Amino acid sequence: MAAPGIALRGVTTRFGDHGGITAHQNVSFEVGAGEFVSILGPSGCGKSTLVRVIAGLVKADAGETLVHGRAVRSPRPDVGVVFQTSNLLPWLTVADNLTLGAVLRRQAPSVARVAELTETLGLRGFERHYPHQLSGGMRQRAALGQILLLEPTLLLLDEPFGALDALTRDRLNVELLRLWEVQRQTVLLVTHSIAEAVFLSDRVLVMSERPGTVTEAIDIDLPRPRQSRTVKADPAFGAYVAELGRLMGVS
Amino acid sequence: MRRYLDPLVFFVALAAVWEYGVGWFAVPRYVLPPLSAVALAAGSARADLIEHGWVTLQEILVGFLAAIVAGIALGLMIHASAMARRTVYPLVMALQSLPKIALAPLTIVWLGYGFASKVAATFLFAFFPMVIATLGGLESTPAHLLEHFRALGATRWDTFRRLRLPSALPALADGVRVALPLAVVGAIVGEFVGAERGLGQYMLAASAQSRTDLMFAAILCVTGLALALYAVVERLARLVWWRGRGAS
Repeated sequence: MAAPGIALRGVTTRFGDHGGITAHQNVSFEVGAGEFVSILGPSGCGKSTLVRVIAGLVKADAGETLVHGRAVRSPRPDVGVVFQTSNLLPWLTVADNLTLGAVLRRQAPSVARVAELTETLGLRGFERHYPHQLSGGMRQRAALGQILLLEPTLLLLDEPFGALDALTRDRLNVELLRLWEVQRQTVLLVTHSIAEAVFLSDRVLVMSERPGTVTEAIDIDLPRPRQSRTVKADPAFGAYVAELGRLMGVS
Repeated sequence: MRRYLDPLVFFVALAAVWEYGVGWFAVPRYVLPPLSAVALAAGSARADLIEHGWVTLQEILVGFLAAIVAGIALGLMIHASAMARRTVYPLVMALQSLPKIALAPLTIVWLGYGFASKVAATFLFAFFPMVIATLGGLESTPAHLLEHFRALGATRWDTFRRLRLPSALPALADGVRVALPLAVVGAIVGEFVGAERGLGQYMLAASAQSRTDLMFAAILCVTGLALALYAVVERLARLVWWRGRGAS
């Protein structure tokens, strides 16, 4: 049995002067290799900091963080992070932004792979455009593409679609799911949207108010591959959303 | 159409007010000569103005370019070295608040009446804003992009040349914009303090002879020089087109 994609044991992170603020406390959970797990939680519960700990960007003050069975000390090439801000460089074209991650990591993705991803993400014909000429949804697609090109085995998504309108968000969720069903990376998604979490995930973790900790873990037993329309019409989908809503409301 | 018509009408009207206003209000010619007299004087002193203007232009160009290069270099140094930040940076801040005009006589003592002292004065005026602009630019890299680069395992050098430097370019362009008029001031002040040639020296000579018309002709020449240089700088600054686009 392969090591889990992510394993957290008693992770606590503080920040501010002299560690005055506790972002999250005693967080423990595992995400199996190839599993899609979402974290839901109120604002300021330390879920974004948690992503940064797993990404090796922030050092936890206590506990153990393992990715693919190895302790996280610094950012690793097998981990990709997509943030809420699309992080494209305004002076680079879409094509150059797509390959920026690969350039920085001294990887050379094949032309065919770049073209394929450009196509899949609906960026064909926009390769020579600059980020400011794109819609928010397309910018986020390009940002996602930049990371997917690196073929990370663990994908960390920190509210990647949080700044988009509902329609664009739904569409990107469907695309993300399609890509994931082919690649089957381990995915940890941080989100505010209950419906998004239920639609995408195998399992949803619920975090409490700051200092946040994981209070609930709900398995989402909806058949895959999931189609947006059929899944959302499924009474079980509504039941999960309602249950998580209740849990979020009381926590 | 109005883009060109409005300013044209405005400046023609302004010139007319100058030309006929001095007559109506009987302003003495040695105080303010009519525009036509200035134009005539400029025409007859054409050769002198071109010769002195060329000297001033060279002083500005050499001092200004040196200030840009040295200012950016020092800014990079202070940015890169914690040691320089503790030592050189406070010195720069102190010198920056010192009135540069007070140093102009010193440049004469150290470098004489020739070309070098004027270049030095120009340099002094334009240098500090370039240092400050460079530092400000290098420090304005958005934190989320720095984090993104860190997550991508970027080396220090890659982070500098692919992120910090391009992020700093708009601020650098602003610095050059600010430094240019200061460089012009520096050259003229340098010539005022002591020079054998140049438009500033020419103005002083005209003043000594109460030739207000020639003084105005020289002032118009300096203004024309400054505007022409500004047009070039604006043109170059437009190469940094992502200015104000931010990262999103």
